Amino acid sequence: MKENKFLNVRFLPLLLLVMVVLIAASFWFVSPVAAQDGTGDEPSNAACLSCHAEASTPMELPNGELLSIQISVDNFGKSVHGRNEVSCVTCHVDISGFPHPENDAATIHEYKVGYLDTCAECHEEQASQTQDSIHGMLLAEGNTNAPTCMDCHNPHTQPFVDEVSKATFAQVCAQCHNGIYEEYSNTVHGSALINEGNQDVPGCVDCHGVHSIADPTTAEFRNSSIYMCANCHTDESIMGKYGISTDVLDTYVADFHGTTVTIFEETEPGQLTNKAVCYDCHGIHDILSVNDPNKGLAVKENMLAACQKCHPDATTNFPDSWLSHYRPDREKFPLVYYVDLFYKILIPTVLGGMAIFVLSDVYFRLRKRFQKPAAESVSESKDVEKE
Amino acid sequence: MSKETKTYLRFDVARRIEHLLMILSFTTLGLTGLIQKFALNDISLWLVKVLGGIETVRIIHRVAATVFILEGIYHLILLGYILYVQRKQATMMPGIKDATDALQVFLHNLGLGKKYPKMPRYNFTEKAEYLAMVWGFVLMGLTGFMLWNPILTAKLLPGEFIPAAKAAHGAEAVLAVLAIILWHFYNVHIKHWNWSMIKGHLTRHEMEEEHGQELEQIESGEVYVPPAPSVYKKRMAIFAPLSAVLSIALIAGLIFFITFEDSAITTVPPVYADVDVFVPQTPTPMPTQVPTPTPDPAMANTWDGGINSIFEQQCGLCHGNNGGLSIETYSGVIQGGDSGPIIIPGSPDASSVLTIADPANSHPGQFTEDQLEKIRVWISNGAPK
Repeated sequence: MKENKFLNVRFLPLLLLVMVVLIAASFWFVSPVAAQDGTGDEPSNAACLSCHAEASTPMELPNGELLSIQISVDNFGKSVHGRNEVSCVTCHVDISGFPHPENDAATIHEYKVGYLDTCAECHEEQASQTQDSIHGMLLAEGNTNAPTCMDCHNPHTQPFVDEVSKATFAQVCAQCHNGIYEEYSNTVHGSALINEGNQDVPGCVDCHGVHSIADPTTAEFRNSSIYMCANCHTDESIMGKYGISTDVLDTYVADFHGTTVTIFEETEPGQLTNKAVCYDCHGIHDILSVNDPNKGLAVKENMLAACQKCHPDATTNFPDSWLSHYRPDREKFPLVYYVDLFYKILIPTVLGGMAIFVLSDVYFRLRKRFQKPAAESVSESKDVEKE
Repeated sequence: MSKETKTYLRFDVARRIEHLLMILSFTTLGLTGLIQKFALNDISLWLVKVLGGIETVRIIHRVAATVFILEGIYHLILLGYILYVQRKQATMMPGIKDATDALQVFLHNLGLGKKYPKMPRYNFTEKAEYLAMVWGFVLMGLTGFMLWNPILTAKLLPGEFIPAAKAAHGAEAVLAVLAIILWHFYNVHIKHWNWSMIKGHLTRHEMEEEHGQELEQIESGEVYVPPAPSVYKKRMAIFAPLSAVLSIALIAGLIFFITFEDSAITTVPPVYADVDVFVPQTPTPMPTQVPTPTPDPAMANTWDGGINSIFEQQCGLCHGNNGGLSIETYSGVIQGGDSGPIIIPGSPDASSVLTIADPANSHPGQFTEDQLEKIRVWISNGAPK
């Protein structure tokens, strides 16, 4: 009690003083941060746009490329950033007023690369996925054709992704992969998406992913690609609409190619296999209906041509060695069906016969063992009789 | 040696080695084959991994198949020797007695029959197994050939034979392995341990139970009499060259079997994609800069005569209204911005525009020296419209 009282009375002013100093100090340290976040000196979006809304003259970079510095107020307002009231200086952190700091990027690509970390500030997950993707790896290698964030997402016009259609996504990819896009747009998937707006068919990102786009030339990609296709092609709710079989994966896996690829996928996913995966026969971007007269695999000549890519010596009969995703039955592939049936009868018959015989022997031996004492006494008595 | 402890030689060393080769190749074939048939089973996947991957498993399977076939060829030649040169009985041939033996043993086991048969050198259990083996050997050889050489097969037969061969090869394998486990293991190892394929002998008790007839023949002195040397020589003169030719032909056939065909390319198949990956679209062209009209010297000193284009070029980017200043119109320039007028007609020194837009200043829009001079003159002239 005495001590408490002593503390309370004697050191109260001192304690108060210490507290005041600490609080003041905390303001001292916190205040610069607060100034950065707050309104402070930083220019408002209005201030930036007062020039940049009308800045129709692009900036010329040292390599002669022209960098547009005009921002459409209307488009920015509709963009995801505009709608979330992201300020210009959130990204353009180096700009605090006029004149702007000197631009040191020699090319547009270099300029965009300079903003990668800026995007990552808010979009960390996407940025790191992209970094590990084929695009990110090419970018890290210094490939100037590799896309930065901004090549796919113009930060001043990027809409909400939920509001972007599959077809529009495909057009984003087409900016750099136009050859593939043109090819894709004439295929069974592409034409349905682009011409009919069919949402059941895959667009680019459904197979390749969005940010984590993998290198499609790796063994991992090849070995697991079968599940990429199977993802939709085993889904009855999609395939049912078009009368397409959902047995395609099972029948493939049951066959030599599919078994091997599946084993590779499970046991050595990093090893390339020469056994065919879906796209070796059906094509990659140029997938056509199996009934297409020129490339469809339902046409025997086309199928043979597909076989010959891996089996150069294959002849007319060879394609029939593949059951074309059918389960063998009396009509389709009767020989395989009857061989299966034969063994379905033979195996249980033979083994069953053997089992009955073996069991009879087991029964005999058990009986003999349990009757042994009796048998012994009998034999003894027999011996006696003999004597 | 008493009668009870007497043993009877059943298999000589050569037959035991043959059997050992069979054990090794059959087991290897069964193991590496079944893990391919039931490939997606966890145990199979684990074994594939342990054995070094599926391609290695297939090589092991084929090596074992080669050993298995070699053993088959040897056995065939041996049969020729036994039957032609030695003129021994074809003791593996099944007959009616085997059926009655089987029935009697079965009934005896169930306690329904009193009579236990006296069985020959190879009893019905062994004949069944041997003949099943021969059937399996032929079937697995044929279907294996088709799977090993699918291109050739499809040249000779409809393509459907290949999946049919695969189905038969796998199902027959299951049958063979299960039959060995159920029938062979039970009869030779579980029922009682039969040493004849290891030590070569059977006990008298075993002989009584399994080969009563043979035992009787041995005990009655009915022994095999080898042919007279002259007869033997004569037979060998025919058998030796024939068997040599046959062996060579069969081994050549085997080599053909295992090396004939490169069914597929060994590299990863080329993919369809015949378009380049990187094909950029033509980018939307940037708006080109509007060329500055060359001012007419005669008109140079009026707003409409060229001063306006100097202002538009150097200030227009921002001063649509920035800082309250609009340079779009004459009246806007004269009026000035938030910080007051920028032009005092008649007095260039008081006109702030000349200091703000001086090339020495850091204002973003700057006049060139020429333009500065023109505007100075224009202001001195009273900044005429």
